[in-house]
Amino acid sequence: MNAKKKMEYLKTLLPNVNIDPARIEMYNLSAAMGPRWAEICTEFTEKIKKLGPSPIWLAENKFTGKE
Amino acid sequence: MIVGKQKPLEEIWEMIRTYKKVLVFGCNTCVAVCHEGGNKEAEIMASLLRMKAKQEGADLEIKDFGIERQCEHEFFDSALENIEWADAVLSIACGAGIQFVAERWPEKIILPGLNTTFIGVVDEPGVFSERCLMCGDCILHLTGGVCPIARCSKSIMNGPCGGSEDGKCEIRPDISCGWQLIYDRLKTQGRIELLDEVIPAKNWVTSRDGGPRKLIQEHLKTDKEETSHDSAE
Repeated sequence: MNAKKKMEYLKTLLPNVNIDPARIEMYNLSAAMGPRWAEICTEFTEKIKKLGPSPIWLAENKFTGKE
Repeated sequence: MIVGKQKPLEEIWEMIRTYKKVLVFGCNTCVAVCHEGGNKEAEIMASLLRMKAKQEGADLEIKDFGIERQCEHEFFDSALENIEWADAVLSIACGAGIQFVAERWPEKIILPGLNTTFIGVVDEPGVFSERCLMCGDCILHLTGGVCPIARCSKSIMNGPCGGSEDGKCEIRPDISCGWQLIYDRLKTQGRIELLDEVIPAKNWVTSRDGGPRKLIQEHLKTDKEETSHDSAE
């Protein structure tokens, strides 16, 4: 429960630095839920791909001229 | 304890963005309890500011460090190197701590990352509320241990005022009427007759009306008449 509240708090901090809070999520799983874990990883990877590069990555490449 | 609230990140960014080396400096006692100015919060703020700096393309190095108390000389030893390193120190201590750092390093730019809000208590985890205005002349023995200066929105000495309704204050309906609290407490204690006594108007000379206050404990002072630290006063 504490971790969940801290995640909610973190989600309020990230927009201050232009980062979409959807880029971070918490899941509760037991060690025996391997298949579900794999599923979540796949889903989350897709989600992040849709959101595109992070603003930090973009900024780093913009200012180093790599973009 | 002293309760504070971090300034908005944008306001902090405006303060620090022109410097090259910034130290986010936490104070791990009072303002750490409300999770606003402790060493952990310094780490988080430094991390956010690094992200901000990256996106703004600012050539800015940000470190974090913290000590137990920024209001006492003896705690600073471990921080000397980091403070010397910085062009500017963003302190997230209370106003006293921030000024103390500025007095000790008068040539250094010391910036406030936190608004000091009140002296209060922890009602429950995550909930902090004001209890004392530091008036310098306590009358809690007359009011059942409830302070009319801090708990009554109007700080009246003989209440309640006409704005008290259903135990709530007319200033804000979510706060209890201080004088209702006093009445309830005295009733519980069987000392309701104390309310018949008129408390004289407050002499504010013990508060801020007498200028900045000072407490000197002769038995705790060092032998030296004046230390180098006193010169900042």
